Amino acid sequence: MVRSKILFLIISFLLVTSLNSCGTNPIKQLNEVAVVNENRIAPYFLSKDIDYVYRANITVYGNDLSGIVVIKKINETMHRVVFTTEFGNKLLDFEISETTFKVNAIVDELNRKILVNTLKNDFRILLRKSYKIDKQFEEDKYQIGESKIGNRYDYLYFSKNGGELMRIIHASKRKEKLSISYTVESNIFANKIVIQHQNIKLRIELNYFNNQ
Amino acid sequence: MRIKVYYLVLCLIFWNISAFSQEQKMSGSEINAFKQSVNAVSKKIKTLSTDFVQYKHMDFLSKDIETSGKMYFKEPGLLSWQYKKPYNYAIIFKNGKILINDEGKKSSVDIGNSKVFAKLNKLIVGSVSGDMFDDNEFVISYFKTKDNNVTKFIPKDKTLKKYIKQIELTFSKEDATVTQVKLLESAEDYTRIVLKNKTVNGKIEDSIFNN
Repeated sequence: MVRSKILFLIISFLLVTSLNSCGTNPIKQLNEVAVVNENRIAPYFLSKDIDYVYRANITVYGNDLSGIVVIKKINETMHRVVFTTEFGNKLLDFEISETTFKVNAIVDELNRKILVNTLKNDFRILLRKSYKIDKQFEEDKYQIGESKIGNRYDYLYFSKNGGELMRIIHASKRKEKLSISYTVESNIFANKIVIQHQNIKLRIELNYFNNQ
Repeated sequence: MRIKVYYLVLCLIFWNISAFSQEQKMSGSEINAFKQSVNAVSKKIKTLSTDFVQYKHMDFLSKDIETSGKMYFKEPGLLSWQYKKPYNYAIIFKNGKILINDEGKKSSVDIGNSKVFAKLNKLIVGSVSGDMFDDNEFVISYFKTKDNNVTKFIPKDKTLKKYIKQIELTFSKEDATVTQVKLLESAEDYTRIVLKNKTVNGKIEDSIFNN
């Protein structure tokens, strides 16, 4: 029922090609310190026993979409991710690991390469379990680990207070590409996640809902 | 001895199967009687309000996703579907438009002359009121259990079929109204909506259908 809207959004998504990169590499001004922990864990989607069910609000070029996103760890390396409407109709269903990606189902309106690739990249960062830290930086509230993967850099912001992972910034050598911010309930669970792109006007907000 | 054990196992298996498949096909005369009673009830429905609980089932989840709220219907085709828990989200079908209120954020989609949306709208209204016995639109089969009558609708429309493989409506034998709607995308993936605390022909303000 919101499919025509979705279609419109996708078209907007495809048509607007002005990729204004506005982010800058986040650690330019920061002091480098010695690496304390070479392997850091992103702890929020590690349990096979939890159905991670979030309400999703997606803003694409000023247009809003909503639905439900379900994330489930199905084995040691793989997660299953399903997007549905509020009514329960499945929009997109895929399985993803650090090296593999398989679409189980997708509605025609969403079946666009640019969209699928964007979500694949976003969720690969969101669901990555471990990072090898190459450099470490510090600012007032955070310890920041830099992890180089290919020609991209991930910056993991851990709070100095509780040690929780609060943010991941994904960047090229010069520019920030996207950030993932967490509002955490504990050091293994995030009840709110915001994925904000810098080079395209795309924002995905996930709010956990207690599935009682 | 071994044969006896096999026999016992076979008996247990078949006992289990029969215990699970409580549905029995209706006879021709039962189908006619059932359709008549449902049509008589649904014809009288001018307004309908009901609480609902929606269970989204996917095989790989350990638990169904549960949401709930209230649904209002008013003739000729006003429908408001309001989720209250665990979030506020309302979707209203009104005069060829879909109005959405997402936690206070309002929007609308013009569905105009879209045949698919018209069918979908009819399907949602029909599945709640029970008025869906259109053999041109669906392949319909009829079953009965101890307390309920169950009808299964397979859409004939190709576009509709892509989204919904089958719709199952459960009718209470007591009052011939719909108590459950099950929308199947596949055997492993379905949405089950349980309707309860129904009020038929109570007063429903038009403002319910404003965004």
